[in-house]
Amino acid sequence: MLEPILEIQDLSFSYDGSSEKIFSHLNLKVTAGEFLLVKGPSGQGKSTLLRLICRLQQPCGGSIRYRGREITKIAPSELRSSISFVAQIPRMIDASVKDNLLLPFTFEANKAKSPPSDESLRLMLRDFYLESVALAQSAMKLSIGQMQRLAIMRAILLNPDILLLDEPTSALDPESAAMVFSLIERLNIDEGKTLITVTHSDYVPKKPLAAVYRLHERTLHKEQ
Amino acid sequence: MNQIIDISNWQLLLGLLFILLAQISSFVFHLGLNRDIAIGTIRTFAQLFLMGFVLTYILQSDHQLLVVGVFLVMVVSAIFIIKGRVAEKQVSYLFPTFLTMLVSYFATAMFVSGLIIGSSPWWEPRYFLPAGGMVIGNSMSALAISLERFFRDLRQQRDQIEMQLSLGAGYREASAEIFRTAVKAGMIPSINAMMGVGLVFIPGMMSGQILAGIDPMIAIRYQIVVMLMLVGATTLSSVTIMLLIRKRCFGSGEELLLTSS
Repeated sequence: MLEPILEIQDLSFSYDGSSEKIFSHLNLKVTAGEFLLVKGPSGQGKSTLLRLICRLQQPCGGSIRYRGREITKIAPSELRSSISFVAQIPRMIDASVKDNLLLPFTFEANKAKSPPSDESLRLMLRDFYLESVALAQSAMKLSIGQMQRLAIMRAILLNPDILLLDEPTSALDPESAAMVFSLIERLNIDEGKTLITVTHSDYVPKKPLAAVYRLHERTLHKEQ
Repeated sequence: MNQIIDISNWQLLLGLLFILLAQISSFVFHLGLNRDIAIGTIRTFAQLFLMGFVLTYILQSDHQLLVVGVFLVMVVSAIFIIKGRVAEKQVSYLFPTFLTMLVSYFATAMFVSGLIIGSSPWWEPRYFLPAGGMVIGNSMSALAISLERFFRDLRQQRDQIEMQLSLGAGYREASAEIFRTAVKAGMIPSINAMMGVGLVFIPGMMSGQILAGIDPMIAIRYQIVVMLMLVGATTLSSVTIMLLIRKRCFGSGEELLLTSS
């Protein structure tokens, strides 16, 4: 049995001041290269689960281990360079597409990583169905679908071990959503990226090995 | 020239005509300020007469502890005014703010009184208390502006901050722009005052000294020191406070603790 890259044990969470638990005794093991799809209706805490994994929120109990280490023992910026989270609504800084893509490389924790050249950025833009987008143009003028793909590309540039995608298609039209799902599948199949994607859509991944979980009654249930 | 004209009680009451004008305007134009103008007027009379008695006593008694005590009361009062202006419930900012104000303002007033003016002893109330009072009064407003702006921007730009955190930014990097904007917002009034002083307005302290018969060339020297002191004290206190408060806005995982509720 492969060592899990991510292991969640007995995780519980409730919002500040609330006695009602969103999760209770939630367990999950993820191995490298796995593609997890977490489904369930809105308001069940799917996004919160992702935010707990990258420490954007703190759990009430239980543990999350990344490569065998308790995540609370890893410097937050180091953890988030290895486990990248892409939010439901993509956010850009008011600058060019290139500046947005290279933003992570300006942070101290990523200084050792070398930023990609303009040429490789252009090639990647094409792979992300953004061939019509120029590096010099303003990122704020892109459509929401383009921004979402750009946000995923920006996260991928850091070469994280795990990519957490929070409802990546919720704000998109069907055509853009299909592009994003196709992109996600390629990242997993071609590049072997470990992916945890949260969605409440009816999307069924092409890859037969993708594990589908449903968040129900405060814990995760694996679907056959 | 050195003979100052006293203002009698009757003459002082004549000044209330200005308030009458404000009250009538508020009444006629339904500004809803009648109550505030009335309370403000009563407080102005009460607080300043009280301060007059206190200062007269302190100047006569010449006691170090008393001077420091009055300074402490002024800082505590300033904290309550800041509390009234910055409505922040999630992050406890009052204690670090109080400590920073106390230390930085005390150091500034001590430096100005003891070193620049060269009064002996350094706490001589004639110099130390006005210097301290001006620092506290001006920097307090700057701090309230900075803090209010900082908390508001952190909440409004939560998504931007989390986006940067998610990409490996430390909490300092993710909030750098908001930090800068907040500190600048507090400092700009005192920098603008340096631009306009002597051209657009004659500052209160200088006017007071001239009214009291002091040579204008001496009065301007005092005023220059005051202007420089205010910029320095505002910078020192607001940068220190913002550094301390910023850390409290983020949790152990460098996650932003402020929520929009």
